[in-house]
Amino acid sequence: MSLYLAIWIFFGCLFVLVLSVSAHLEWQTSVAVTVPIVIILALGCLGPWYSSRALPLRSTPLWKVVGTHLLVGMCTSAIALAPARLLGVLAQKTFPDLSARLHPAFPTLAGMSLLIYLLSVALHYALQAVESSRQAELLSREAELKALKAQVNPHFLFNSLNSISALTSVDPRKARDMCVRLSEFLRNSLRLGERTSIPFSEELALTKTYLDVEQIRFGERLRVTQDFDTGCAYCEVPPLLVQPLIENSIKHGIATLVEGGEIAMSGRRLRDSVRIVIENPFDPDAPEMRRNGFGLASVRNRLHARYGGAARIDIQVDGNRYRVMLTIPCDEESETAG
Amino acid sequence: MNTIRAIIVDDEDLARQIVREYLREEEDIEIVAECTNGFDAVKAAATHKPDLLFLDVQMPKLDGFEVLELIDREIAVVFVTAYDQYAMKAFDAAAVDYLLKPFDQERFRTALQRARRRLGEGPRMPSASELRNAAQAPGQHSQRIVIKDGTRVHILPVNQLEYAEAQDDYVALHSGGKTFLKQQTISSLEAALDPSRFVRVHRSFLVSLERVAKIEPYTKDTRIAVLTNGAQIPVSRAGYMRLKELMDKS
Repeated sequence: MSLYLAIWIFFGCLFVLVLSVSAHLEWQTSVAVTVPIVIILALGCLGPWYSSRALPLRSTPLWKVVGTHLLVGMCTSAIALAPARLLGVLAQKTFPDLSARLHPAFPTLAGMSLLIYLLSVALHYALQAVESSRQAELLSREAELKALKAQVNPHFLFNSLNSISALTSVDPRKARDMCVRLSEFLRNSLRLGERTSIPFSEELALTKTYLDVEQIRFGERLRVTQDFDTGCAYCEVPPLLVQPLIENSIKHGIATLVEGGEIAMSGRRLRDSVRIVIENPFDPDAPEMRRNGFGLASVRNRLHARYGGAARIDIQVDGNRYRVMLTIPCDEESETAG
Repeated sequence: MNTIRAIIVDDEDLARQIVREYLREEEDIEIVAECTNGFDAVKAAATHKPDLLFLDVQMPKLDGFEVLELIDREIAVVFVTAYDQYAMKAFDAAAVDYLLKPFDQERFRTALQRARRRLGEGPRMPSASELRNAAQAPGQHSQRIVIKDGTRVHILPVNQLEYAEAQDDYVALHSGGKTFLKQQTISSLEAALDPSRFVRVHRSFLVSLERVAKIEPYTKDTRIAVLTNGAQIPVSRAGYMRLKELMDKS
């Protein structure tokens, strides 16, 4: 607050100086003209706090940003200068030729006011950028933490262990197989979860191990089809992006259906992004769900923290079909990196 | 010793398998049915008249608690689930036992011992619907009501319920011009529903607040609530106070 005051006292002195020099006014007269201008400007320059938020640089066309702020700036400076004109007209007795003497100074005053206004707009955008980057960092750290917690769902673990327990007497070989798959999944999800990005092919491999475990648990109820462009494999993506979505497809989809169903996964390599689609049937009349959409929220948060508006996640519900569509920028490492 | 008739309800083959395997060593227990979903469980309970139910909580179509609600016979229930959040409530309501997956044979035998003891005590067991009501977490309200109609099961989302009327041991649930009869007291229905959305306006009537169109005076102490579908519901003095309090709040 005191900083803001100091800034405006500085600007005020600048105005007084300009008036004394260009309009040859006595300093008292300059002050009288300046004070209302500076007060109005000081209030007007708080406006960009709102307008800079309403017109975020990233998602607003440039002409709109420039046009709006320029227009508002000109209006603000016109309003700020109005008292000076008024003073010139009304106080003709006290300052006889004020109006005439002020006249040549008006363009300079208007220009200065506009510049100060635009400076304030720029300052607001800068402050906003600092704030949002700090928030994004916070969000991404929080999301990562949550992701680490989420990556091993305890119920998945308990149910898998129960399946193993059942298999030990009827099919020991399969029980051992499931132990190995489960360990593989746990080890890989811990390992990959620590990294900030992994090749998409590794994410797919992790998902496959997860599905292997669930396949033993659900048997014929779980069917999976995959269709990925080879070009997807080299894209660098945040870890645990697809697997939690598949986990959702099973929990809220396949597990709600007596006969089970098919999860269809596909990936298309576009020019500089990948588009992943996961589709599954579900029972719209299923009993209420618990821990609803936690995996989805975690993926959404992490995508937002990392790519901002450049990544998209869309949900389509069409009767008994649920579809998640993910579009993420593809930061391709050199081909050999994959 | 009498044979205990048991049903295993779980949507996963392997999960049923392990219960079946453990039961093979128990000579006094006979598995009369295995079910993979809630609907089948309700049907099997009606046709096989079991004494004991091994019940998973999360299943397709109806969850374990909804299954209990639709079984009106007295059955000893052992929950078998990987989820522990309902355990305390189920115990409070005297479910025989609560097995957390995975479990070993000794733990399973303990559950069976408890079941035998309970079955030996005779008919004074909490009924399935009592169990269901007690198992409801505080602050959590039903989103849907399950109703058995012969062998069919209806699921009525609570936002489609217009009003309910007590009729002896039943409640008549009115929704979209249809009436469903359910064996339940109006008080226990009231307890299961969100009190900010459903009001007991009369000893025998429960209405959905959002369906009330207007309230008209009737006698000195009573009023009539007219619902959006035109139905006229008597409102007692105490019921009017409750209704008014809720409407002022919203």
